[in-house]
Amino acid sequence: MVGTVVDVVKRGDRRQPEYFLRDKLHASVVAACLSVRTPAGQAESIASTVCDSVIDWLEDKPEITSQDIRIVTAKHLHTHHPDAAYMYEQYLVTI
Amino acid sequence: MILFKHKGYKKAIVFCSIHIICLPFCPVYAINKGEETKNKHMDILTSLLAVGFAALIHASFQLSVSVLTMLSSHTIGAKRSHAKLMRLTLSFIIGTKVMTLLLVSFAALVLLDIFGSTVPQLVWACACGLLVGIGIAVWLFYYRREKGTSLWIPRSFAKHLNERSKATRTSAESFSLGLTGVISELLFIIGPIIVTALVLIGLPAIWQLVGLAMYTIISTLSSLTVWGLIGSGHSLSRIQKWRENNKQFLRFAGGGGLLILGFFVYVNEVVFHIVAGGM
Repeated sequence: MVGTVVDVVKRGDRRQPEYFLRDKLHASVVAACLSVRTPAGQAESIASTVCDSVIDWLEDKPEITSQDIRIVTAKHLHTHHPDAAYMYEQYLVTI
Repeated sequence: MILFKHKGYKKAIVFCSIHIICLPFCPVYAINKGEETKNKHMDILTSLLAVGFAALIHASFQLSVSVLTMLSSHTIGAKRSHAKLMRLTLSFIIGTKVMTLLLVSFAALVLLDIFGSTVPQLVWACACGLLVGIGIAVWLFYYRREKGTSLWIPRSFAKHLNERSKATRTSAESFSLGLTGVISELLFIIGPIIVTALVLIGLPAIWQLVGLAMYTIISTLSSLTVWGLIGSGHSLSRIQKWRENNKQFLRFAGGGGLLILGFFVYVNEVVFHIVAGGM
């Protein structure tokens, strides 16, 4: 797992902060892309681009929330695949 | 016209008004009731219509569809095969059907044990009050005031369902997720289930089975529709977008349906018997 030394404060503030993990973000973006039937190769490519953009954004920040990551990721994903971005945003508000 | 000359003509007016109100719900019943009060087939028809309508209200509630959407999303996202996706989602729907069947049967058994096949009017009135209360609650609280389609169910239930839908690998797990999904929605579906049980215990045994089967099938129609859409390759984002765009309509339809059912049952089982008893 590739980690970046940025503390991520989890949702609801009930769990311990954890380091930002690029692989975790990558997997979630790939899953969002696949769930709207994007071909696997394209999903991987989009996820890599989005993860790079998110890492660029968080480089100068010592601490962020998981919600911040979600918002920024959805914003970048939206430019590549709006449907996948929509499903990514809906993850926590479907049920 | 002879009725109006009679001493109890006011009751006759009320009696006729009830028939007019009932007419949109069951025309055959409304027309024939005055001529053949003891026509059992008409009673059965009315009962089955009430059960069908209650099941449609149940089908308008969205928790099962939400969980089905999440389950499909996680399954596709985990690169599982289409056959596996269809197996898991079908097992989920069978789970919801089984739990619905068990809940209605259980409610009917308990009510039959307590009241026998003749339910007191007070119980009918309480059931109507429950329907109206839930109907208003659905209008006010069914969806949370935020983006998406998150519902006013306990957050611990929602979290559990979300996590389980992600962790589901086998058909058995999916089946149990379907069972749990119905339990989580019990707060809203308890009204239609109780009224259905009350209606069913007044029917002959064979018609009870028909009503039970009818309720179970109709109440899962929305999940079956989504299952069909997923199976035919429709995008989950389109399904979810449709649900989000139409959530106010679904809320209005569900709540309104509960109010209409409560009113219909109240008129049919409480007011009608009071008026008919007094004539």
